[in-house]
Order: sequence, then C-alpha cells, then structure tokens
Amino acid sequence: MEIIILAGIVLMLAIVVVAQSFQLRKADQQKKLQAAQPKPVAVSEPTAAELDAKLKTAYEAKITEATGTFGEDLKATSQKLSEQVSRLTTTVIEEELEAYQKTLEEVRKVATQAMEQIHQAVEHQRVELRQGMEAELAAEKKVLADKFDAKMGDIVASYISESLGSGVDLGSQMQFILTSLEAHKEDIRKDLLGGV
Amino acid sequence: MAFELPGAVYSPQLLEAVTFDIERYLDWYRETKIQKKVGAKGKEEPTHSAETVLVIEAWLGGKPATVESLEALVKYLKELKWPQVHVMLAALPNRSQREALVDWFRANTTPHLFLSFVADRNLGGGVVIRTPNRVFDFTWKQELVAGRDKLAGIIRRV
Repeated sequence: MEIIILAGIVLMLAIVVVAQSFQLRKADQQKKLQAAQPKPVAVSEPTAAELDAKLKTAYEAKITEATGTFGEDLKATSQKLSEQVSRLTTTVIEEELEAYQKTLEEVRKVATQAMEQIHQAVEHQRVELRQGMEAELAAEKKVLADKFDAKMGDIVASYISESLGSGVDLGSQMQFILTSLEAHKEDIRKDLLGGV
Repeated sequence: MAFELPGAVYSPQLLEAVTFDIERYLDWYRETKIQKKVGAKGKEEPTHSAETVLVIEAWLGGKPATVESLEALVKYLKELKWPQVHVMLAALPNRSQREALVDWFRANTTPHLFLSFVADRNLGGGVVIRTPNRVFDFTWKQELVAGRDKLAGIIRRV
C-alpha cells in the first residue's frame, strides 16, 4: 500500500514536474517572442516634436556638410583632371608632332632619294635610248645608202639598157672601152702573164 | 721569126676548128694519095675556113706546104695552152670591133692569149674583162656607182 501511495506520490510529482516544465517552456517561448518584437516606445508629442526638430537639424547639417565635401572633392578632381588632360594633351601632341615631323622628314628624305634615283635612271635610260637610236639611225642610214647605191646602179643600168633598147651601138662605146683598157693594161698584163 | 696566130683566130673554139680543118685535110690528102696509086677515084677536097687559110699562110711564111709542115702545125696548135680573157659587152661586137679588141689585147698585153666574147644587154655600156684571176669592170654602171658622190651632189643641187 505504501508502495502504491508512494508510487502515486511519485507519479503526482512527476506530473507536476512535467506540467511545470511545459509551462516554463511556454513562458520562455513567449519571452523570446516578446524580445523579438520591438517594443513600442511611448513618446510624448512635445518630445516627438523636439526629437523631430533635432533630427531635421542634424540631417540638414549632415547634408550641407556632405554637399560641401562633395563640391570640394569635385572641384579638386576637376582641377586635377583638367591639369592631367592639359598635360596629356600638350605632351601627346608635342610627341606626336615630333614623331610626325620625324616621319615626315624621313619620308621626304626617302622620297628625295627615290626621286634622285628615278631621275638618274631616267637620265641613264635617255642617254642609252639616244645612243641606241643614234646607232640604229646610223645603221639604217648606212643600209639605205648601200641599198640606194646598189639600186641606183641597177636603175641607171636598166634605164640605159631600156632606153637604148636592142640597138646598142658598140661603135660609139669603143673609144670608151679602149680608153678604159688602156688605163688598166698593166694590171691586165700582169694577171695574164702571172696566170699562165 | 716566131709564129703569131692571126687575129682572126682569137678563141679556143676557133683554134679547134682550124686544127680540125687541117687534120681533115691531111687525112684527105693521105687517102687521095693512096687512091691515086691504086687508081681509085678519091673524094673531093674538103672545104676549109678563111681562118684556116690565114693560119696555114702564117705558119708557112711563104714556103711551100708539105705534109710534114702541116703535121707540125697541128702538133703546135694542139699543144697551145694560152690564157683566156672573157670580154663581156652590151652587145656582140662586129668583125671590125672584135678585131680591134683582139689586136689591142695581143699588142698591149701578150700575143699569146685567147679571147671570148659574151653579150649582156644589162650592162648598158662599157666592158667587163675577166682574166684568169681578176675581173675588171669598166661598165657605165660601175662608173656611175663609183661616182655616186657626184650623183648625190647633183641630186642636192637639183
């Protein structure tokens, strides 16, 4: 019996402990929830107005301060940028101009040399061409003169023979023939006596 | 006196013809002599050219003709080796012109030579002489070509 009573008591105690534990846990959860949720601050209207005024003043001051700082920074940056741009522009332009002038000078020098070479080549060609043409002209002239001589002899002979027709009068030529023979009789004689 | 070939016999062809005439005459003479001995009728005496007569007369020099002297003449004529001159004219020369040329050559160069005459109308005038080693051009054409400077001068003047 005693045991049953003791067991009853223990059970009762156990139930109480469990109940209390459950209640404690619940309370703890509620506390945590309450802690997580902001607690509404109850401020009076004058205080709120005062706080609002102070906040506005501070805000305006900060804005003014930030604007001033930004303006100064912007000015300094702009100045630096301007200087940099100016320096860069001047330097770059000078360098580029110098390089350009150098390149131009080189190009001019090369062009001048090329022109001189071309001029010399043209002059050389001109001289060669002239000499060649003169030689060709001389050769052509000689060929023409030779042809003229050859043809002129034939023309004259043909003209004479055609003009005389078939009636060649040797009688009128005999004096010329004998005179020619007389002028060369020694040569003829030498050849005849030497050729026996 | 040395034998001189008459001017009428100026070429090797004429000399050959004369030699042939004399040989033929000698043959005829021998045959006729034999035929007379046997009483046979011989052939008629062969004809001969005027040049043959001239050569025989020049060879005999007034002496009577004998078979031996004629045989000696044939031998002499066959052994003749004279240089030849070719004469080219615008036309063939007539007898007197030919004789004048033959006489000139034999009198002014050497009497021992032959001549041949050729005609070429293209010469126009003058003469071309071809000796054994040389050619002498005395044509008008050659004279005109040689005087081309004069011709050029005339052309420039005109």
